[in-house]
Amino acid sequence: MDTIQTDKVPSQGPLGVIKFLGLVLFGGLIGVIAAFAAVGFVAAVLWLNDSLLISPRSRMMFAHPGILIAATIAVPAIGGLLVGLVHHQIAERRPHTPADVIAAVQTRRGQLPARAGALSALSGLLSLGAGASVGQYGPLVHMGATLGSLGARLLRLGRSDDNITIACGVAAAIATAFNAPLAGIVFAHEVVLRHYALRAFAPVAAAATIGYVIATGVLERGALFHVTDTTVPQPWEFAAFIAIGGLGALVAGSYMHAILGVGRLAERLPISPLLRPALAGALLGLTALWVPDILGMGQETLRFATIAGAFGGIELIVVLLLKLGATALCLGMGFGGGVFSPALVIGTLFGALCGTVLGKLTGTPPDTFVFYAVCGMVAVTAPVIGAPLTSLLIVFELTGSYVLTIAALASVTLASPIAAQLFGRSLFDIQLSIRGLDLSAGRGQAVLSEAPVRRYLNQDCVTLSPDTDIAAAVATLSHAGRGEAHLVDPQGRYHGSVSLADLEAAREDGHAERSIAKYTIANRPVLGPSTSIWEAMARMQDFTGEAMAVVDDKEQSTFLGVIYEASIARAYLKHSDELRREEHGSG
Amino acid sequence: MALAERHVAMVLAWLLTGLAIPAAGQEPASLTVLSWGGAYERAQQQALFAPFSQTTGTAIRVESYNGGLTGLRQAIEDGNVPWDVIDMTRNDAMAACEEGLLEPLSPEVVAAAPDGTPPEQDFIANAFGQCSITHTVFATVVAFRRDAFPGQRPTSIADLFDQQSFPGPRALQRTPAVNLEWALLSYGVPREELYGLLSTQRGLRLALNRLDSLEDIHWWEAGDVPAKLLASGEVVMASGYNGRFFDAIVNRDLPIQILWDGQVQEYETWVIPQGTRHPELAKQFIRFATTTEQLTELANRIPYGPARHSAAMQVSTHPDNGRDMRLHIPTHPLNAERAVIKDDDWYAHTHHRVEERFQEWLSR
Repeated sequence: MDTIQTDKVPSQGPLGVIKFLGLVLFGGLIGVIAAFAAVGFVAAVLWLNDSLLISPRSRMMFAHPGILIAATIAVPAIGGLLVGLVHHQIAERRPHTPADVIAAVQTRRGQLPARAGALSALSGLLSLGAGASVGQYGPLVHMGATLGSLGARLLRLGRSDDNITIACGVAAAIATAFNAPLAGIVFAHEVVLRHYALRAFAPVAAAATIGYVIATGVLERGALFHVTDTTVPQPWEFAAFIAIGGLGALVAGSYMHAILGVGRLAERLPISPLLRPALAGALLGLTALWVPDILGMGQETLRFATIAGAFGGIELIVVLLLKLGATALCLGMGFGGGVFSPALVIGTLFGALCGTVLGKLTGTPPDTFVFYAVCGMVAVTAPVIGAPLTSLLIVFELTGSYVLTIAALASVTLASPIAAQLFGRSLFDIQLSIRGLDLSAGRGQAVLSEAPVRRYLNQDCVTLSPDTDIAAAVATLSHAGRGEAHLVDPQGRYHGSVSLADLEAAREDGHAERSIAKYTIANRPVLGPSTSIWEAMARMQDFTGEAMAVVDDKEQSTFLGVIYEASIARAYLKHSDELRREEHGSG
Repeated sequence: MALAERHVAMVLAWLLTGLAIPAAGQEPASLTVLSWGGAYERAQQQALFAPFSQTTGTAIRVESYNGGLTGLRQAIEDGNVPWDVIDMTRNDAMAACEEGLLEPLSPEVVAAAPDGTPPEQDFIANAFGQCSITHTVFATVVAFRRDAFPGQRPTSIADLFDQQSFPGPRALQRTPAVNLEWALLSYGVPREELYGLLSTQRGLRLALNRLDSLEDIHWWEAGDVPAKLLASGEVVMASGYNGRFFDAIVNRDLPIQILWDGQVQEYETWVIPQGTRHPELAKQFIRFATTTEQLTELANRIPYGPARHSAAMQVSTHPDNGRDMRLHIPTHPLNAERAVIKDDDWYAHTHHRVEERFQEWLSR
């Protein structure tokens, strides 16, 4: 066994193995903490929903209709007010979401801030507790990630390990909340890490397993979907499932753009951001008096949507549109919370609608109604969170039904690629690209565009005053063994660069007395200190020379130093190598 | 001080029970138990009361009642409570506790299982109320005539509503409780979500639609009616209490079979009324009556499930007729696979509205 172990990791001795095992253990520990945090969060939301007359059970058990109506409007409105106050305490004036986790991991920035994380969790808790139409998995994922990152900082681990502990927290949160460890592991890799290195896999798996164990011990919940009979769909129905996938991608797109659109609209409203969630809450409560299905996470609505005949056809369309609108309103106007649970409800309603329409066409509602509901659910959720495999695994782990999973697979086959082509990889990626972080070209670009060239700044170069004559300049350059000089005036301002070859030619032509200022190289690109390596590489493509000057952007083009072409190449190789080690490390 | 003394006395009492030696000089007190009479009381007499007297030397007097809190309320008002221990449904026990009619009862009264499993793990969930300790479980189940379905037999609660595969009239209790639960279960709703869904207009409508689809329902109110309707062949499937059906099968040779799928469980508890004269003796009795051994003995005589897993696993044959009692108790793992636990709290708060809706539907 030992020899195999050392064969596999030839570069690492026993110390490396012990270190790696330590990381796995630490992943498990993060799993315990994240799982208990998730259990506590879920329990607190349920308790708030019961106490604040949001859950149908508490509404039914409450005997005073007048107070119930008042509470339906007042609770989301007051909840919104509190959420607005919480967001005021966060630097960005918005709750942090899984998108922030993805950004931190993809750019290897790591280090999720603990205070903003705690406030975001609080905002999610208040939003969900007060019945806003938002999801609970987003806050859970962010909370798990923050705990993981905090753990890495306490142990002073490196960036790669920080990323892994973040993924551990995420996996444990999903494994606990869904009671689905495989989905937790795959989600952490598919959405957060976006690579499948063994070094990350083991700690993440440990965390998810522990999350699952804690979930089964502490949280007792029924299966999300229950397939009573062993009804198997007809072969032609799989064609319907694929079509649902295609259409579901469009529903997912409308959902994502509705959220973003309301967000843009809210910016233009003449209302303080502090009060926007309260307004959304009041509107939500008012609508809920008419259609209570839109209140909260919609657990009951989700269940009804899987039952043939629970909704009429028109009713399905109304509830679907209202739920979509309510979620866009809540998230766009600034409630905290996730996008996944509402997407589950909307998708399931959409699938139910497809099943009902098909039933109308063929004359009888299909026995396989639940298949349509689940296909719709996957077709909408997978594109929204950018995780087709995770969505499939959630179906598989929650139902234990292989047939149902295959039907969902048929649906997701079209849903994810169509949505990715039309809208983007996920709502998170769209949000990040709006914030200026483009992940569509993969992680390499993301990391390089976050790393500034400042770190590779070099003062070891020849600087000359612009009024130096050519003969003196050639002599200085020759003695220094350099091919280029940079012209800097006594005030420190940059005036271009000259090459030894040009100056030699000018001297040969008999212009040795002239000042070098006239011989600067045309169209020489310059860099700023915060220019990213990615951008520097782009400028390097039409650059021939030895080094690029770095000039302060803000002040009067003060010369700061140069960056040699070789440094940029070295920086690129170094970052690629770090990524390669992180993404392909076996232990 | 008084509390501390009581604790000491309690510990002493436990020790004495454990050692099975009556204390020298202890007054020969007698304990009065209020129970339900009939076959149930006969079984309790053999399984609990007689062995307790034998072990402790305390005589037990038994009185019987038909449930409810009126008698207890009156007795406490009069300042003369003749009972030390009462066998009460959990519904009543919860209400009585809120009214302050009962002594608080700590879970510590109860003994661990023979293998050392602590009571919290051994007892079914929520067995320990503020003033009550749940000891047995009874169930409302569906029974059907075996001869009515010679081929395929009903196996799932959804079959109650499937008159195409299982034709014939049904008998159901004239209450929303149990019927609504079964109606939603037949749609494939997991039991954990029943009361959440029944809390919505959509859920109630869905459940009543399902009941609507049944043709020829005989509504019953008294507990002995379903077995009679089955016996006379007026209906082929009926809901009813599992003890009554067991009695009909064993003592009257009725050719019926119980469908355990979707059984709705309710609970019996032991409580101590305020103003009892022998509170410590009462606790001593409850500790004895809820041991794994005694609960097993009881379930061997009447098919009400022990509220603790260790006892449910040990139930064997009826000492008189040799019947395998395991097949007849609601809490046996095989029977309880898809058992619904009636949400006492939900019914306590929604009873009027649900009942109103049900009556409105009935009178259509």
